[in-house]
Amino acid sequence: MLKENQAAYYPGCALLTIDRAYNSSAKLVSKKMGVELVELPDYNCCGIGEMKSKGAVSMYLSLRNMMLAKSKLGSKDLVMACSVCYHEISRSIARVKENKNELEAVNSIFNEAGETKDEFVPDGKVRHLLEFLYNEKGTEEAKKNTVKPLKGLKVAPYYGCLYSRPSMYTFTDKDPKMDNSERPRFMHDFLEVIGAETVSYGNEVQCCGGRNVVQDEETSFALCSQTLSKAKKAGADVIVTICPKCAGALDVNQPKIVEKFGKDSALPVVYLTQLMALAFGFSDKEAEIKDMISGPIKVLREKGF
Amino acid sequence: MALKEQEKRPVAAKGEHIIARHLIEDDYIKEEKNLVIDGVDVSGRWNTFIFSRVNPKFDRSFFSEIKKTVVGSRINRCWQCGMCTASCTVTPLHRRFNPRAFIYMMQLGNMKELKKYVDVAWRCVGCYKCSQRCPKQVNPAEMMEALALVMKKYFPEEVESKLKVDEDVKKIYEDMILGNGRLDLAKLHISSMRKMGRTKELVDRIEGGAVLKMVKDGRAFSLLQLGKPHGWKKSRQAIEGYLKKVDTIEKN
Ligand code: SF4
Ligand code: SF4
Repeated sequence: MLKENQAAYYPGCALLTIDRAYNSSAKLVSKKMGVELVELPDYNCCGIGEMKSKGAVSMYLSLRNMMLAKSKLGSKDLVMACSVCYHEISRSIARVKENKNELEAVNSIFNEAGETKDEFVPDGKVRHLLEFLYNEKGTEEAKKNTVKPLKGLKVAPYYGCLYSRPSMYTFTDKDPKMDNSERPRFMHDFLEVIGAETVSYGNEVQCCGGRNVVQDEETSFALCSQTLSKAKKAGADVIVTICPKCAGALDVNQPKIVEKFGKDSALPVVYLTQLMALAFGFSDKEAEIKDMISGPIKVLREKGF
Repeated sequence: MALKEQEKRPVAAKGEHIIARHLIEDDYIKEEKNLVIDGVDVSGRWNTFIFSRVNPKFDRSFFSEIKKTVVGSRINRCWQCGMCTASCTVTPLHRRFNPRAFIYMMQLGNMKELKKYVDVAWRCVGCYKCSQRCPKQVNPAEMMEALALVMKKYFPEEVESKLKVDEDVKKIYEDMILGNGRLDLAKLHISSMRKMGRTKELVDRIEGGAVLKMVKDGRAFSLLQLGKPHGWKKSRQAIEGYLKKVDTIEKN
């Protein structure tokens, strides 16, 4: 069960493996800001969008995690850093709240698996780490912890799709505490209080082609090259992401994108939490900057962080 | 004399300037290459005429089949405003990918038309721009999933020949998620590349660098760090049992 200043945290599959840098920096930053992220035991994959065509099964996969948060950690809410997990689970909650028959179908799977004694009640909330830190701790807390402001670093905040869209699942625009769907600001605000300068480049909420990144490279590369080159043209030193899927498309695939579209698309990628960790005084080793394929370590060291 | 000079002007290909031209079959477009009416030259695009394509005998049973699914449950709400297509990330890259038109074809059960788009139907990147902007909350992003289900059920041969890779990769995802409860991304990537016959690229100059890095720092051996949810077997059996019971096209 959770103590005070702890939050139930869903790591998801990517953050435990390929994107471990995001996981560890998220934990460092949250702890510094006064909240400890406690990993949800026995969590399962959210379905990563590939299970949507399986009806109630896709919702069961997500909601099983909400059920575990309640039974194992005593928390209605669940914090996560991956935008895809965030989307999948918020989608399931929104859907079963609205559709009785869908909730019934999900409940029938729960009962079959012997996981709930009573009916599953969708009364919890999923929280994206960015929104969670912004609303629970605020930019003031980030400012207070900044010991090494990122002065002189130009950054391009990249939100991607599922953090802010669609409002029917994420409640952007609807809930005054949430971000704006077309022009989100929370990442900008954090980056500015830790001393970086944000640039505007027009592709902040564009898609990276993530879902089809394996099957349809052509589309994903075209979209990513546009985003990277626009950010670079606007003068950014790095592009900042909050989603492991976006990082996969922009960072891991960057060598292939540069090969195809030229040097204009070469721009280092970092996670927001990595930059925050640096500003909070952690070393680049602790922030695991070297994990990124696109090589942000070089520009960050040049600038003296 | 003036007319003669004008005749030399390049004449547009038939129907070239119609938006979403691919939706209209050639013989539904009437367009004279050379036409002068009352001394005015209206050659080419100026005299374009599209015959009515209204089909009053459409098949409604198909519509209810889609409505029964989770992803397609709001198909009845679409009023064909086209906001989804105008917002779409993919349409500018692949002109024949047109969510509004696909939804219309599904509403009417127009199998003849739907069949033509098997090759592009899977292009949706799931960005949800359409669902964000749709004025009727149709959720077109998920309607594209319904479209995929329809294609798989009604055109299995075309799907097999044109979309084998997409289907195979999806299957890898599904097997891994249902089988282990968690997703091993490194293994997923390698299996997908193998299915696509591109194993060589994993060690080549460009991708090889990233792969080698992840092997060196241990990230590529992710299953060890990932583990498996306790008691997943029961969950898996419950899912499989459920899928056997339901009677919608979501089954397979
Ligand atoms: S935006 Fe919505 S209502 Fe308009 S055509 Fe697309 S799905 Fe239909
Ligand atoms: S979710 Fe799919 S159909 Fe909708 S705008 Fe994005 S790519 Fe287009």
